[in-house]
Amino acid sequence: MSAYDAVVIGAGHNGLIAAAYLARAGLRVVVVERGEAPGGCAATEELWPGYCVDTGAHSLTGIDARVMADLDLAGPGPNPGGAGPQGARLEVLSPAPSVVAPQPEGGALILERDPTRTAESIRRFSPRDAARWPDFVSAMGRASRALSVLYDTLPPRLAGADRGDLWELLRLGARMGRVGRRDALELMRLIPMTIEELLYEWFESEALKGALAADGVRGICQGPLASGTGYMFLHHMVGAGGIVRRRRQVHGGMGALGAALQHVAAAAGAEMRLGHEVASIRVADGRATGVVLAGGGEIMASRVVSSADPGRTLLGLVDPGELTPEFVRALENIKYRGVVAKVHLALGEPPRLPSGDDDAPAAVLAGAAITVAPSIHYIERAYDDAKYGRPSERPVLDAVLTTALDPSLAPAGRHILSVAAQYAPFQLADGSWDDARREALGDAVVGALAEHIPNLEGAILHRHVLTPADLADRFALPEGNIHHGEMTLDQVFFGRPVAGWARYRTPIDGLYLCGAGTHPGGGLNGRPGAAAATRILRDRR
Amino acid sequence: MSAANAYDAIIVGGGHNGLINAAYLARAGLRTVVLERRHLVGGAAVTEEIFPGFKYSVASYVVSLLRPEIIRDLRLARHGLEILPLESTVTPLPNGDYLGRWADHDQTRRDLYRHSPKDAEAYDDFATLMVRLAWAVKPLLGIVPPDPLSPGLRDLKTLLMLGRHARGLDEQQFHALFKLGTMSAADYLDEWFESDVLKATMSASGIIGTFLGPRSPGTAYVLLHHYMGEIDGVFRAWGFARGGNGMVSESIASSAKSHGAEIRTGATVERVLTANGRATGVVLEDGEELAAKTVVSGVDPKRTFLGLLDPEELPEDLVEAIRRFRIRGSSGKVNLSLSEAPEFSCLPGGGPHLRGAFSISPSMDYLERAYDDAKYGGFSRQPYMDVVIPSMIDPGMAPPGRHVMSIFVQYAAFDIEGGWDDAKRDAFGDAVVDTLSEYVPNLKDSILHRQVLTPLDMQEQLGLTEGNIFHGELTPQQLFFFRPSPTWADYRTPVRGFYQCGSGTHPGGGVCGASGRLAALEILRDLRRRPRGPQPGHQPRGRQ
Repeated sequence: MSAYDAVVIGAGHNGLIAAAYLARAGLRVVVVERGEAPGGCAATEELWPGYCVDTGAHSLTGIDARVMADLDLAGPGPNPGGAGPQGARLEVLSPAPSVVAPQPEGGALILERDPTRTAESIRRFSPRDAARWPDFVSAMGRASRALSVLYDTLPPRLAGADRGDLWELLRLGARMGRVGRRDALELMRLIPMTIEELLYEWFESEALKGALAADGVRGICQGPLASGTGYMFLHHMVGAGGIVRRRRQVHGGMGALGAALQHVAAAAGAEMRLGHEVASIRVADGRATGVVLAGGGEIMASRVVSSADPGRTLLGLVDPGELTPEFVRALENIKYRGVVAKVHLALGEPPRLPSGDDDAPAAVLAGAAITVAPSIHYIERAYDDAKYGRPSERPVLDAVLTTALDPSLAPAGRHILSVAAQYAPFQLADGSWDDARREALGDAVVGALAEHIPNLEGAILHRHVLTPADLADRFALPEGNIHHGEMTLDQVFFGRPVAGWARYRTPIDGLYLCGAGTHPGGGLNGRPGAAAATRILRDRR
Repeated sequence: MSAANAYDAIIVGGGHNGLINAAYLARAGLRTVVLERRHLVGGAAVTEEIFPGFKYSVASYVVSLLRPEIIRDLRLARHGLEILPLESTVTPLPNGDYLGRWADHDQTRRDLYRHSPKDAEAYDDFATLMVRLAWAVKPLLGIVPPDPLSPGLRDLKTLLMLGRHARGLDEQQFHALFKLGTMSAADYLDEWFESDVLKATMSASGIIGTFLGPRSPGTAYVLLHHYMGEIDGVFRAWGFARGGNGMVSESIASSAKSHGAEIRTGATVERVLTANGRATGVVLEDGEELAAKTVVSGVDPKRTFLGLLDPEELPEDLVEAIRRFRIRGSSGKVNLSLSEAPEFSCLPGGGPHLRGAFSISPSMDYLERAYDDAKYGGFSRQPYMDVVIPSMIDPGMAPPGRHVMSIFVQYAAFDIEGGWDDAKRDAFGDAVVDTLSEYVPNLKDSILHRQVLTPLDMQEQLGLTEGNIFHGELTPQQLFFFRPSPTWADYRTPVRGFYQCGSGTHPGGGVCGASGRLAALEILRDLRRRPRGPQPGHQPRGRQ
């Protein structure tokens, strides 16, 4: 008899969420994590003394409201003490202005939480678009509600459906029926669209289309003219609870999310083993029986639940002899293609946008993200570079002044600007990432930002650059892909992680996947972890 | 209105779908007239002697996927249609080498082997799978799309039939189909092959008529089309009509006439006449009116709903759907008269390869760069080209010793920066000739005449809105019951008695003819139910 009912590989948010759900259901759970801190990509590191930097994700766009509620994470509250520095409660911060999109010809578009105020800002670019904004917001809200129904469903098998699959399909049909046939059909129409097509149906302003399209290409090696980027946009909408380009961060840095989840899991009885790397998964008679640790030692468990990506789990930790050649081939064909780089800047003074006749400078200081994507074609050109294996000369940027909402992250008067830059392809056409290329990437990002923030270069005290290769090493992201696998249409729903195995199980009994590489994918939404736990608990019965 | 101007059915537009529709209606005994704006029928499938002695298949240049049941029902062979096989596709390479795919399987294998032994092995497995999948998808071409918003009993039966048919697939095949529907041609082929030129030339078929590059998702699906023809017993689904592609139209027109249909050229329809929400006839540009209880539009959805009708007569959501229907053209056409046979440097001299097609698609990056040039509002400096030499297959296309060459060119944007003009058309033609000359050294000196069609020319001359050869982009959100809009994908319209039968309806695209035929069957179905009274077509639906 095993000591544990489940060993969870990886203490990223999905691993911890799965562990918490399983432990709460009474399973004896142990979480094994190679790093010293929980959270995975939800990481806050003190890169320079006094500067706490979100080195992975810097916005809490996606976390599912139900997971938050189930795990009692929602809302600010008294610190109950415990394992995490923040306790179990997350203090989520959200600025009223969410996005500032500076334009090459000067001025900036500002997206706000309040649609009326956003429409006012849009009016300066196009009165027609301003008039359409409220309808757009509600149409996208409806589409994302329909999509969230799919996200709450175990993807039915396409072939060889059994009674359980039919039951899931019927349930899906019934829930879609509640959404309304028109909305469901509209979602079906939107999913294969390019974000360019989707926005073309609504707007004429390039400034507005660029600022929105940036969400459609996030983390995928495709431009806004590619099918499926409309879906990607909606995926972010689901995470953001149906709010267009919502911006949220966690007090204390994103690492507080990891700490809070660790606290919840531990409080439910899960054991934590940080600083231990799993070397392999033990399989006996086609059944997972535990894990072997890199430093020696084994953990026996009747189930192994991996939040690592599908390739690392099944091709890296399992003896290939346990899998069929077809399955191995399908795993090998998963597209990862990381394209995101991170640049972190410690600033001696706050960034100042040129003061024009808009509120952009104030919005940035209030915590709005700076999005540099002034047109659809700007993004497409940035992608063109990546298509041929080069980092974008003029990248798409999403820069967040984390200290605007949370001054505690830096010494008094100092600031941190965290920048996600796209496209920086993991696979370069000529060679691989090295120090020189890393610095060149940093220069390109700072240069592109400085065009809009005149005082930026003079204010930089420290600079830290993570290439996709660095992200791959630091956060165990396959090829640096922030979603554990490109979220293109062939690799979502039934196809995530591979067709036929979209239901958290693997061909090895007792081995489950629970990471972002499973349905419904990445973006710090926590659903894969929760859904995998549900699946495991259902299988146990 | 004189009785002479009264018909049972009026077909607007004498393209191949309009003609097919007319032929089926006339065959069922309806007094039918086809009204064509130009001096000849055929639409984009016409043969014209632009320069004396040289016959050009002006736009569409090969027969692809023309439904066998149409050839049979309308007895097109008897009416002059003879399809000659295009037996090979050769892809010349800049280094003087080439990749050939031939009617002879062993020869193809040898050619592939030269480029990659691994690919030569995989090629057959790939073909087997694709033929199987094409078989699974094929019934879709022959059905009326169901109404997803309020499916009736017939729609459910259709879905059930499709479901039952799909059960013939095993799990692997199902997954392959899912991938084909979602992936880019480049990614899909990457899973099978390693040779860049093989992947490039195969993916080229996935981008024809689309404004997408081979690395754009959604291009894999079209790979199937090539294998659909194989089930019909025709290699690569491609063939060449003796006398040019105009003969496809001519033979259909002849068949329609033999059943009593009237065909009027030089008759531009201005508007469809309606009364009380139903069609009563059409009025021509010159004011002449023709009456009929059934009016069928073979033109594209934009012209059908926003041009022939007053949008006021239509539900608001349909008008909105048609306005946003994407119909960007991406291709051009260059036709050349040549003083001598072209000589390809990769295969010098004559030979059977000259009776086949040449694909200028030497690498994946080449195609992708061609797309890059056009996507910001330009045309490819080094375009993708599909070249055939019709006079090699049918000597009647050119004077003795002379030749005609048909070059399908991609990409060229319709809304090119600054707009198309004569200088840009010439520059586009030059880019085509210059690029092709790299593979055909004697080309430039042998050119006697040159005809260049830009997307704008295709709109102006052939009536293809924005120069889109498919009457609307073939993206998933514009296919099946979305084509052109849900509820109105069954060839009917909110105006009773007014139907659509063009490529802008399911399944659309290519000289396939299914739209024209399926629309005719629906019309006859409506008429059969109530031979004289008002038809049971759908009630206009507004916002509900």
